[in-house]
Amino acid sequence: MSLVAEAFVSQIAATEPWPENATLYQQLKGEQILLSDNAASLAVQAFLQMCNLPVKVVCRANAEYMSPSGKVPFIHVGNQVVSELGPIVQFVKAKGHSLSDGLDEVQKAEMKAYMELVNNMLLTAELYLQWCDEATVGEWEVKRKMKAIGWGKKTLDQVLEDVDQCCQALSQRLGTQPYFFNKQPTELDALVFGHLYTILTTQLTNDELSEKVKNYSNLLAFCRRIEQHYFEDRGKGRLS
Amino acid sequence: MAAPLELSCWGGGWGLPSVHSESLVVMAYAKFSGAPLKVIVIDGTWRGSRGDVPILTTEDNIVSQPAKILNFLRKQKYNADYELSAKQGADTLAYIALLEEKLLPAVLHTFWVETDNYFTVTKPWFASRIPFPLSLILPGRMSKGALNRILLTRGQPPLYHLREVEAQIYKDAKECLNLLSNRLGTSQFFFGDTPSTLDAYVFGFLAPLYKVQFPKIQLQKHLKQLSNLCRFCDDILNSYFRLSLGDG
Repeated sequence: MSLVAEAFVSQIAATEPWPENATLYQQLKGEQILLSDNAASLAVQAFLQMCNLPVKVVCRANAEYMSPSGKVPFIHVGNQVVSELGPIVQFVKAKGHSLSDGLDEVQKAEMKAYMELVNNMLLTAELYLQWCDEATVGEWEVKRKMKAIGWGKKTLDQVLEDVDQCCQALSQRLGTQPYFFNKQPTELDALVFGHLYTILTTQLTNDELSEKVKNYSNLLAFCRRIEQHYFEDRGKGRLS
Repeated sequence: MAAPLELSCWGGGWGLPSVHSESLVVMAYAKFSGAPLKVIVIDGTWRGSRGDVPILTTEDNIVSQPAKILNFLRKQKYNADYELSAKQGADTLAYIALLEEKLLPAVLHTFWVETDNYFTVTKPWFASRIPFPLSLILPGRMSKGALNRILLTRGQPPLYHLREVEAQIYKDAKECLNLLSNRLGTSQFFFGDTPSTLDAYVFGFLAPLYKVQFPKIQLQKHLKQLSNLCRFCDDILNSYFRLSLGDG
């Protein structure tokens, strides 16, 4: 979103309460949805659940073409459409809901840093594996991006090691706490959940990625906790 | 270690031991960890592949990319992080990701894409250290590489145009600088009293932005308002690089 559009959306957002018919659009499940897109959608769903903002999830084959930015997932709230976790967090904040307001400046910096770590390592690894996986789409695009950020020459082993490093960092940061900033979840928890849960539950020709995550029991417990508390207990049923 | 460790990197200027972020990260880490590096400054006579700089050479190894070089040094027992807790180690990784995603695009833009800066400062500086005729080609290639990096990681479809991305990357960079400043506070280094890997990275990314004199300086202006970050850079320059300053 351009800066002007962002400010405009925030202004409009502030005036209207969260409607009952808010909808989240993502691609169809199964073969069509990419690992990374699935993770992104799950992260947004978790975030909205944590904010107690109800949203209906709709799967559409042409979801990315419906989205104004071309990115999925996007939410349709009132007569506004917002895509991707970052802008959605801002949009929701403009409506007076925030998970990270209680954090001090240093904690906010930490939260943002860890979100970048997840984007840097997990998201990129998911893209890389999609590229390697046979039923892949958008191969050329992914390859180009990999090369631009210096991942072009990485071997699968190196990618897996990066994932392991990332999981280790997340595991250490989480420790024995229920959420990353202790008792209350933030957008970081939503993002980590989206990615880890997707990695753990998606069938790829190569299951080494999920094996890496499984090494960290507190991360597994974390995923289970969020699934149970924010999805099952709310009557949304088990995820996928 | 008996065998010498040689680091080939881009040279300095404007009071810096190197104007190149990645070279600076490695040089700083070496100082912090006590690794005895022999620094070889690249000039027109250097024969290696300039695209891979900085490069660490030992008797049996050639290592490129800052992360890999730092890993190598740690394995040789030059470890600047041994006092860090597991959580601080995790924080280090997260903050480096933040630097690379939110600050680096704007730094690359300032040096390599912003037209006035590139043509009046960056290009002549690098070209003078590259032998003819490569000097005619390589700076342009580095500039294109920087542009690609910015567009592909920030210019998500349908935004493939620089104008639309520029405002966003500078906004992100300023926010990142604010976050770093908040995190550093009044401490001397990011984790206590001794410098570690994160300090090397922050210094490497910030110092060129702070010191190199460009015509277009919006990001530099913002940085100069964050006095604790400027003090951080100056302290490291004075404490660790004072005796070896000078133009590359």
